[in-house]
Amino acid sequence: MSAPALAAITVSDLSKNFGHFQAVKGISFTVAPGEIVGFLGPNGAGKTTTIKMITGLLKITSGTVLIGGLDNRKHLAAIKKKLGYMSQKFSLYPLLTAMENIEFFGGISGLPPAELRLHMARMEEQVASDILGQKIQDVPPGIRQKVALFVCLMPEPEIILLDEPTSGVDPEARRLFWNELYGLKKHGKTLLVSTHNLDEAEYCDRIIIIHNGEIVACGEPEELLRQKGKVNIEELFKDAIQEHGQN
Amino acid sequence: MVSLEHVSKSFAAIKAVDNVTLAVKKAAITILTGADGAGKSTIFKMLVGLVKKDSGTILLNGEDIGSDYSRITSICGFMPERFSLYTDLSVEENLNFFAAIQQVPLPRREELKKRLLERTGMSPFRKRRAGALSGGMKQKLALSTILLSSPELIILDEPTTGVDPLSRIEFFVIIEALKNEGKTIVMSTPYLDEAEKGDNIVLIKNGRVMRQDSIAGLRDSFPARLFRILPRGNIFEVMARISAIPGLGGQVHMRGKFIRYMQTGSENLGRQIPHLEMVEEKPTLEDMYIYYERRQ
Repeated sequence: MSAPALAAITVSDLSKNFGHFQAVKGISFTVAPGEIVGFLGPNGAGKTTTIKMITGLLKITSGTVLIGGLDNRKHLAAIKKKLGYMSQKFSLYPLLTAMENIEFFGGISGLPPAELRLHMARMEEQVASDILGQKIQDVPPGIRQKVALFVCLMPEPEIILLDEPTSGVDPEARRLFWNELYGLKKHGKTLLVSTHNLDEAEYCDRIIIIHNGEIVACGEPEELLRQKGKVNIEELFKDAIQEHGQN
Repeated sequence: MVSLEHVSKSFAAIKAVDNVTLAVKKAAITILTGADGAGKSTIFKMLVGLVKKDSGTILLNGEDIGSDYSRITSICGFMPERFSLYTDLSVEENLNFFAAIQQVPLPRREELKKRLLERTGMSPFRKRRAGALSGGMKQKLALSTILLSSPELIILDEPTTGVDPLSRIEFFVIIEALKNEGKTIVMSTPYLDEAEKGDNIVLIKNGRVMRQDSIAGLRDSFPARLFRILPRGNIFEVMARISAIPGLGGQVHMRGKFIRYMQTGSENLGRQIPHLEMVEEKPTLEDMYIYYERRQ
């Protein structure tokens, strides 16, 4: 009998306190290699805090995060090579052009100049040169999002964490973005995507709904709908949160 | 109740609103939806006279208002995209301030405030500074400030943008209750799943109205069909086979375990790739928006 595949992300009893406030309350979940997991919840539910603890950007109060079996507090340097993180607001330098952002982030990621040039050439194939020459603050949100994902992927991470990547993006750009995410999945990448667009739950293999720092639902979207007798994700989301709020 | 006929507005060389004709029905929710820069805010600002139209007519109950915007502003509450709240004032102080400038009679203020705080679930936060409220609560407070004058017509410019999904759901419950009380609501949103809840949906792109109707009407007149393909075997291989068929690449997209396919003409995917399990489903507003946008 073959051993079960090692989870890409294993979160066990993870908590985070900010002073007396407990933002994340002992949550546990796994993300399998090659899986797309959607992370849904209202503002302040603990999504970004959890993602930041997974990346090592935020200190864990208690519990563990294993990335490919490695504890992220003991092996942070090794784990950083495996992880890509696209933050809310895309974290690009607004006064730099797309190409300057790529050059800058490629540089701080330690990419060799020849490899960086290859990446830049690849971006030139995808986006018109006049747009690439504009300050990133002046280009359409869909292009900013594309550049932010490109920057995140340059070091070729195995696991990609995306924090509200589709906010403010028009419908066509959003669909194209998801096509890109499926392209990553096809190549075996693992994705954890937080989103405020409930219809994006259907794009995911599994979803986790979080409220007040606790997981209130977890599973395949269709299966969850069937189990709870709901017709759409909005109903499921609303009821899961209201039920949790009453407990 | 209110309508625009052939209204246009340019800012220098940019045509922000291009020959727009649309009708806002009484006691109904009209939702304008489209990407950033589609012209939604400009339309609202022209309705209340904050931006002067270049051409076209604005009608109230079938009568041209000419340049007398007070005919609309006297019956409407307008909530701009960036909520106009005083962040250093408490929830209650904001309500007091807006009640004063809207000249709400003193004897009515306390009762109105109480009713609005209860309706929006804000009563426990009446002493909290507006700046310390969450996005969803700010949105409810901003709505309350415009409801103080009991307007017949409520104009809301992207009230739910950037607000979390639970607050968006709660906000819409309030909007529907207002409609049921006979209020006329016109709002904009970039969220197409939210726009589906409108009685009348106006799809806008680059200042032009692409389509307007109820969701049922939009579906009835939609010239394409949507299918959910349930792939047997590797979904990526099935996707690659479909995408390789000339002209079909842009008509399929993956969604979880399924592939969705928009049949726009007489092509027959089932004949081109035998044994595909296809189930027809209703197009979403996003499907329709993308279809019309590509053809504009």
